Amino acid sequence: MSMNAAIIGVGQSAYMRRPQSGQSTHTFLRDAVVAALQDAEVDASDIQGMAVTSFSIAPDTAIDLAWRLGLSLRWLLQDTNGGSSAMNMLGHALRGVETGAASPILVVAGDATGLGGYAKIAANYNIATREHLAPLGHGGPNGVYSLVTTRQMNKYGLTKSDYGHIAIAQRAWAAKNPFAVYRTPLTMEEYLAAPMVADPLTRYDCVPVVAGAQALIIAHPDRCPRGRAPVRVRAIRNSFNYDNQEGDGLQTGISTFADELWQAADARPAEIDVASIYDDYPAMVLAQLNDLGMIPDHDLAAYARREIGERRVPINTWGGMMSAGQPGGPAGGLNGISEAVLQLQHRAGERQVKGARRAVTTGYGMTLYRYGGTAAAAIMERME
Amino acid sequence: MSDGIGIWRCRACGIGYFPERLLCSRCHTHDFVADRVTEGVVEEITVIRHVLGQTDWQPRRLANVRTVNGPRITVGLRDESGPGTVIALFQEGTAPFGAAKSAS
Repeated sequence: MSMNAAIIGVGQSAYMRRPQSGQSTHTFLRDAVVAALQDAEVDASDIQGMAVTSFSIAPDTAIDLAWRLGLSLRWLLQDTNGGSSAMNMLGHALRGVETGAASPILVVAGDATGLGGYAKIAANYNIATREHLAPLGHGGPNGVYSLVTTRQMNKYGLTKSDYGHIAIAQRAWAAKNPFAVYRTPLTMEEYLAAPMVADPLTRYDCVPVVAGAQALIIAHPDRCPRGRAPVRVRAIRNSFNYDNQEGDGLQTGISTFADELWQAADARPAEIDVASIYDDYPAMVLAQLNDLGMIPDHDLAAYARREIGERRVPINTWGGMMSAGQPGGPAGGLNGISEAVLQLQHRAGERQVKGARRAVTTGYGMTLYRYGGTAAAAIMERME
Repeated sequence: MSDGIGIWRCRACGIGYFPERLLCSRCHTHDFVADRVTEGVVEEITVIRHVLGQTDWQPRRLANVRTVNGPRITVGLRDESGPGTVIALFQEGTAPFGAAKSAS
């Protein structure tokens, strides 16, 4: 557990489906950084470390961003792990502060690829994709996770409407998030009638690509602004290439460390007040919850219908990427962490979960060939 | 077009890989021999109906295929084969495809 390092502030840029003239990945990153510094009441000149991740910052790298932000640093990291980059950077930053390497540390992620840029990234995601999937017209990750979703439906007896409960519940949360790009309530009829994208995935199963960025400030808890509870991480674990792509993709790397995570956090799933589960696709929300041991008897269908459908558990309370938007997987993951911080600091406004004290956050991503190769999870807690 | 799909088989432990690896994940040797898988069973299918940035897209069928004594491979389906069908595999450049044996 991190005793001398905590998240003290968060910030984000605007989210939009299409970046406007003069906007770029860099300007969105800047906007998130400025917002986080203001929120944490930290001067830019005090920042000693920075971690950044983005699919669209090239040819610049982390040092270029430090230069253009005017930050002179003694700790610098650039992460490349997509949907679990945010969790990975969080862990490194906590250890960086804890060990005295740097404090405060700024963690930032964002993308502004535009739809065309996103399509190019999806087709050239790695060598395996470029050589063996893109020539098939696989449609990027939608094609990959359509096959995973069918496997999950067959194995667990899930129906299309079970996934609809996730999209609808998250849309209801998004209605209370002014940054979300889609805030209009979604009905099951609308969900089921949506155009098919890649069978069985329909429009509302696929995250909308947006331009935007997120940022966090990690520092000693004493630096937290007065009157605000710092948020510490009781335990954090990561997994990379957990099964060499030799399984079915219905488990994630979280399955390799979940027991150890809960034990290290001295916590149980029943003690979690709010969950931020990386939601690139509804099937992966259920897979990660199952890996975390949060779905009784591994009955995914019952959990979707009752716990999510009847809004018994607060999951992805900012609307998730499915409604708020996915500014690249890296910032999408960071959005889940930021939301958990706001909830635990009791600053989530209309969507505040009453008395929230503990949260679980996850990351998942980097589709190697048949499914994702990276995963991470953390148990976070409000410091009283 | 060439019959079968080229895979990489570990000479030490016999495991077949697709896509290519640098070391065998089981025995961590790097002595691979070229092999080909010529048929497989369709496990799941999808139809890619919409792709970002494409305005005149024609739907394409993809399948997850379990090969005999080889890896699972995502292929482009050239016919209406469904789950459970044994299909013939072939390759165009680096892209793997399949179609029902009678239609190949």
